[in-house]
Amino acid sequence: MTSSPERIVGTSPVKQRRSGRGGMSRNAGSDVKAAYLFIAPAIIGFLVFVGYPLVRSFYLALTKYNGLTDPVFIGLGNFRRLFTTDPAFWPALKATAYLVVLYVPLSLVLGLALAMFLNQRFAGVRVVRTLAYLPVVLPAVATITLWKFILDPQVGLLNTILDRLGLPTSLWLQSPNTSMPSVVLVMLWGVGGTMIIFLAALQSVPTELYEAARVDGAGSWAVFFRITLPMISPIVLLQVILQTTAALQTFNQPKILTNGGPGFSTNVLMLSIYGNGFPTLGRIPQLGYASAQVWVLFIIIIAVIALTAKFSSLWTYSDNTSD
Amino acid sequence: MTTLLTEASPSGATETARPAKKKPRLAGTTAWYVVALFICAVMVVPLLWMITIGLKSRTAVFDIPPKLLPHEWTWSNFVNGPKAIHFPRLFLNSIIITSLSVLGGVMTAMMAGYALARLRFPGRKLWFYLFVGSMLLPGVVGLIPLFQLYKSIGWYDTWLPLIVPAFLGGNPLFIFLARQYFLAIPYSIDEAAKIDGAGHLRIFVSVMLPLTRPAWLTMAILAFQASWNDYLNPLVYLYSSGKWPLSVGMASFVSPFAGKTPDWSYYMATNLLYMLPPLIIFFAAQRYFIQGLGALGSTTQK
Amino acid sequence: MKRTMGVAALACAGLLVATACSSGSDSGGSSSGPVTVTVMTWESAETNVAIKKALADFKDDNVKVQLLDTPSGQYGDKLASLTQAKKLPDLFWCGNDTEQQYTSQGLLVDWADKIKNGDGDFKSDNFVPSAMENWKTADGQMGGLPSLMNTYGVWYNADAFTAAGLTLPKAGWTWDEMYADAAKLANKNGVKYGLVADNLTSGDGPFTMSMYSVSAGGAPFTDNVNHPTKAEADDKYQEGVTKLVAAIKNGSVAPPGYDAANVQSLFAAGKVPMTFGGQWLAAGFQTDKPKIKYGFAPFPQVQTPTTLYDSVGICTPQYTKDQDATFKVLQYINTKVWDAVLPASPVAPPAYTPAQTSYFDALTKAQQPTVADTVKADLSAEKTVGVRFTTQWAQQVGDLTTANYQPILSGKKPVSDLPAYIDKINGLIKQGG
Repeated sequence: MTSSPERIVGTSPVKQRRSGRGGMSRNAGSDVKAAYLFIAPAIIGFLVFVGYPLVRSFYLALTKYNGLTDPVFIGLGNFRRLFTTDPAFWPALKATAYLVVLYVPLSLVLGLALAMFLNQRFAGVRVVRTLAYLPVVLPAVATITLWKFILDPQVGLLNTILDRLGLPTSLWLQSPNTSMPSVVLVMLWGVGGTMIIFLAALQSVPTELYEAARVDGAGSWAVFFRITLPMISPIVLLQVILQTTAALQTFNQPKILTNGGPGFSTNVLMLSIYGNGFPTLGRIPQLGYASAQVWVLFIIIIAVIALTAKFSSLWTYSDNTSD
Repeated sequence: MTTLLTEASPSGATETARPAKKKPRLAGTTAWYVVALFICAVMVVPLLWMITIGLKSRTAVFDIPPKLLPHEWTWSNFVNGPKAIHFPRLFLNSIIITSLSVLGGVMTAMMAGYALARLRFPGRKLWFYLFVGSMLLPGVVGLIPLFQLYKSIGWYDTWLPLIVPAFLGGNPLFIFLARQYFLAIPYSIDEAAKIDGAGHLRIFVSVMLPLTRPAWLTMAILAFQASWNDYLNPLVYLYSSGKWPLSVGMASFVSPFAGKTPDWSYYMATNLLYMLPPLIIFFAAQRYFIQGLGALGSTTQK
Repeated sequence: MKRTMGVAALACAGLLVATACSSGSDSGGSSSGPVTVTVMTWESAETNVAIKKALADFKDDNVKVQLLDTPSGQYGDKLASLTQAKKLPDLFWCGNDTEQQYTSQGLLVDWADKIKNGDGDFKSDNFVPSAMENWKTADGQMGGLPSLMNTYGVWYNADAFTAAGLTLPKAGWTWDEMYADAAKLANKNGVKYGLVADNLTSGDGPFTMSMYSVSAGGAPFTDNVNHPTKAEADDKYQEGVTKLVAAIKNGSVAPPGYDAANVQSLFAAGKVPMTFGGQWLAAGFQTDKPKIKYGFAPFPQVQTPTTLYDSVGICTPQYTKDQDATFKVLQYINTKVWDAVLPASPVAPPAYTPAQTSYFDALTKAQQPTVADTVKADLSAEKTVGVRFTTQWAQQVGDLTTANYQPILSGKKPVSDLPAYIDKINGLIKQGG
């Protein structure tokens, strides 16, 4: 929570406004009441949907609780079990890390490449944009189920195509070596979500800058690294944070595609939490234990984001050093 | 993986094509269309395949090798599939739940964004950090405590847990987006309105809302998708099948119990109908959507 | 701050609209007068239609029966949330494990007395004895009644066996024969594995493996799945594991991680020549009509016929409104509903033996004699082993199995690591008490 999104967000010269300060300080007295009226719903929501669960789940993390009988306080017992005896915890952390390392860079690179590709004037570019964004619009459960079919080693479309082209086929989701890359492959099909934000950022880069660079005789790589990338660096950082947070909380894809298998190969932390909190038919939930896992996940997310934000101040371009 | 990776290299190539518009124009154009065609194929072929499954008979799905086109076209799947889950009723439920949560989510986020961007008050920074920080909170944190909260105040098996959070600023990303967009609007506009004697409510409604159309349309699209596709929450909170939204109804096709092959043909056929509303909305509002998202990275801090 | 409240009230006004909407769509089942007994199943939509029809014939002026819809795909999630919310329907489909655990938490109505001194034919003597035994908790309570028996065996593609010049599996065949057949059937005509045995390779695998050791005169994996005192892997058990590991290694048996979700469709398409499975697949095949000739054989043996024991049933929460009315409906389901449902969809033999006739008749009519024979043989098998622990800490055993047992099967760990896995489970047993 220490990261400061304000700092992340730099300035595009076009939309930069500095004229407003005077307007804000006028009538300060009535502003306070009005302001609190305007944000009251959000504050109530924050207290109820963020504050309360946070406190409550921290308490539950210190208890043995099955939702049926009252929680029993056991101190750090859950965390002890988590870090020492639970055979599923370390594999879950490993799977989560693997997924993040695989997914986040690929999603950013592909998203940006796709955005640059689609940020050009060609007839029909909007159709292509729409199609590229299509997978994001569609219901996740439906498309993931569809992919499970496509990746089926025996009746799936992908192996059929590869086979006809004379290319090697794969077990995809069913082998511990390829299961996580296959899950990431399905996630990357939704790269349109990353693309569209990059596209929005690219469109707000003023064209004068490109023209000026052209006059200076800069090559296209130079234009990319000297102009495009610095200009969109705030949004790149925002994307890193959003994608990492989302990747750490990946649930739908492994749940539907593999349910964590084979072995623990795709059993990411969220899946493990869900399995303990809402177990399969006929098993008693371990809500206290699941809450302890949630807290571990939460702390990991905060740590990763804090590191990213700290590291980012080195490379994020920002032109409003004043203020 | 290989299929997707190849996308990266051509886009690098067209990157080069862009500055050099004039000279090898034809080659560049052709290359662009080839790549574009490939991208379209990757995105669309799975969906086409879905349509063909929807048209196949129940067991033909498992033909080996799989056939791209059905040899007998079972159009009746598009009638019988939806009928099996009481499609019209669930559709109506989904519409009601989704429109209310879109309304609530957009309205409260715009209000909060307005206050955070344009009003000066103690605690402004604090609340901003808290709201944005809650973006990082894993959703499961709430699942267990909130379930018990709803249960104890009698909201179990009602639509309230699906709608009320939206009316209470449920999506911090929206608040962030709204604030960023509001920051980009010149303050001289407020001042002019104030001189005319307008209060904050009037400024917000009649001055700001029209100016920020891309922002709230973007949020509306995102909120629509999220609510329309939400599966876990309605599953957990709704007990009576009469109240289900479509997302839960869709799941009743996939039954691993009692020796039934999941009826993939019905599933895929119904799926097409289920997907239509979000698709139409996205097509209609695409321009504003991209414009609105631009606010995420393009405005200054203040 | 007063005006903050004003906004809150405003927001609430919006919510009231929502409340009105949601209560407007309420189907409104609870009127005064007759008691409504709610029933929830995990059956497919079609089977539910048949059940609904049969329930409509239930005649009692004071009792109304209502079948709830539920997406059977996520029955477990649904049940978990209903349990937490204390809104369980009066009668809900449940497994033996759910019944054991919920009863130990005091969640379910105890029917033990009612069924012992039942009126007419509806009493314990008329139920399959092993089912009644397993549904009793350690202190003799019964949180529900078994309804259907699940028997297991090997489904085989008769065409593939004939083409390969192999004799068809039948009662009395051995594990070695099965593995030899699987090896000959694998990697031919679009077939990959000769045998898919999810029961042996999934999380329940260690329990299924008991069939080998028990049949060879050795000890089962655990002495009792409901209230275990120990787990063990004796010489016979290790021999069984070693054979399975070899069969997985040479590619004739599908390894752990093979997704068995579509196995019945693949079997019907002739792409899986042999698969472990329950008798319930017969119902699916009856509607799907596979193009192959197929049969159902009992599990292989070493010396004595041994099979898996499993049954499902119907449970009732402690807070049911009217126990007598609920019991009446329960009795009606167990005695009458199956007669109406099973002919169209022969899913499983009822645990209430007088109702079994309609099941076997349906199989005979559907010309599935091997299924009828195997189910009969299974129900009277000399030795049975439980399919999985039903204890509170069963979830943790699942994780241990994934971490330690499955790698042994896929050859990543040696069979000699088996004792370490057993030790960990014994640790859990001791801890769980």
